[in-house]
Amino acid sequence: MGQQDNRPVMITLEDATKVYTSGGEEVSAIDGVRLEVNQGDYVAVVGHSGSGKTTLVSVMGGLTRPTRGTVKVEGTDIWSLDNRELARLRSERIGFCFQFPSLISTLNCIDNVRLPASFAGGDGGVDAAMELLERVSVAEKARAFPKELSGGQQRRVAIARALFNRPRIILADEPTGDLDEDTEEDIMELFDEVNGEGVTIVMVTHSRRLARRAARVLTMENGTLAENGAGSREA
Amino acid sequence: MVGIDPETDFTVGPWLEEHAGGKLADDEVILGANAHIFFGKSESHVGDVEFFYGRPFKVVGILEATGLGIDDDAFITLDAAYELSSESNVDAVEKADIEPGQISTVMVKVDPRYDRADVARNISLQVPGTAGVTSKELMATSLSRQLQTLTPGLLLIGAGFWFISVLMIGALFTMIVNERRRELGLLQAMGATRGFIFREVMLEAVELTLLGGVTGIVAGSVLILVLKGPVADSLGVEFVWPSASYLVVFTVGYLLLAALTGALAALYPAVSASRLEPYQAIRSGE
Ligand SMILES: Nc1ncnc2c1ncn2[C@@H]1O[C@H](COP(=O)(O)OP(=O)(O)O)[C@@H](O)[C@H]1O
Ligand SMILES: [Mg+2]
Repeated sequence: MGQQDNRPVMITLEDATKVYTSGGEEVSAIDGVRLEVNQGDYVAVVGHSGSGKTTLVSVMGGLTRPTRGTVKVEGTDIWSLDNRELARLRSERIGFCFQFPSLISTLNCIDNVRLPASFAGGDGGVDAAMELLERVSVAEKARAFPKELSGGQQRRVAIARALFNRPRIILADEPTGDLDEDTEEDIMELFDEVNGEGVTIVMVTHSRRLARRAARVLTMENGTLAENGAGSREA
Repeated sequence: MVGIDPETDFTVGPWLEEHAGGKLADDEVILGANAHIFFGKSESHVGDVEFFYGRPFKVVGILEATGLGIDDDAFITLDAAYELSSESNVDAVEKADIEPGQISTVMVKVDPRYDRADVARNISLQVPGTAGVTSKELMATSLSRQLQTLTPGLLLIGAGFWFISVLMIGALFTMIVNERRRELGLLQAMGATRGFIFREVMLEAVELTLLGGVTGIVAGSVLILVLKGPVADSLGVEFVWPSASYLVVFTVGYLLLAALTGALAALYPAVSASRLEPYQAIRSGE
């Protein structure tokens, strides 16, 4: 743990709160969350369904504006950025893996993977995209459209897309949701690999087994966060 | 060939006064738009000298195409016509057979308060040797007057349809945006700016209405090609294409209007699409 403390802070949440109003009732999806994630951390977030895990990562990734509190990425208060700067942060520094299928249906796999580069103003090279598709073992489907892929293949492509702009942070919301164990293992190995390259990972999962692969495990409960120490790698 | 009395003529006379600044002289001719075809030329110009029955005439004016029979006519003075006729047995290959003083037609401009058919009947009864007829061809003037009174109504109906189409395209794009909320949110998550989302929606709308505009022009042209014959026949006029420059201006203007329609209709959906909070958008339809 001593080594961790020397690394720069990547993500900071202070009093992060998101209140939803549904049916006239106010629900705090996350409530006063305080958190620091260091560069190169591998954090797993576990918790019951509805406990606020998705809200937590989407507030971190600049996809949901918190009702209260601040979110800093590398020291920048992201919710004080203007729309262009925030868009740029999303495209350049954060790779997001969604809980559900998230490919653009009208683009083939390789174009889906290259999509983030088009917003970052990069050249979005086909070669780099192919390389990533090989890395997630769906290179043979490069020219296929999302609907021609199995759920597992779609997730692999979505992960390749999240990695395309070489983000410093990966936010993954149940990235192996309903996948078979082999695919799940492939993706977990890929995350280990990417984390080994210094990328910070925050992964939501409801599987304690998967959570044990992370260096840190956090538990969400009713919108609040509790730390339950390190996963297996530090045990 | 039409010989007219420059003193009393009201058909080409006023035009001549306006365009050539005077009355027709005995050695001058005004040509209908297609008259040059009859003397085997591809076109005629003001100032040219053309021969009719061996007699030279200076072209002082060429009429615009009207779609009427007068497009084929050449107008000279009545005196010139008599002279031409009497000399034609000497000068021309074929003799023109008109006796001096002979008149084929007297045109009568009827005060709009009187019924033309009544006037025609009375002339036939009171002037021996004449047959009063109402001219179908001259109806072109009343036809264009009728069209002129119809035009504001047609414009109003057109504006109404246009307004409805703006609303309908707007509704369509609101639906499209709603259906694509997820993907629009995903694009934002990947770094698309609000401006990008706005432009995407607008572009798509403009593409759609431009396509509609092109379809409209093609369909309209086909309709004109198919119907111009029957309609012209039933109205007793000939179909005249507008000039090329008019067609170009019309086409470009029409397509611009189509694009503008799309932009206007998609404005609200595009703005609301660009304002979606990414995660809310992505989550919709989950
Ligand atoms: N858009 C929303 N509108 C209303 N309530 C929401 C919305 N999003 C999430 N919630 C509520 O916030 C709480 C946390 O949701 P979520 O972050 O998705 O939890 P988890 O990912 O742990 O299942 C839930 O009670 C959920 O119903
Ligand atoms: Mg969730």
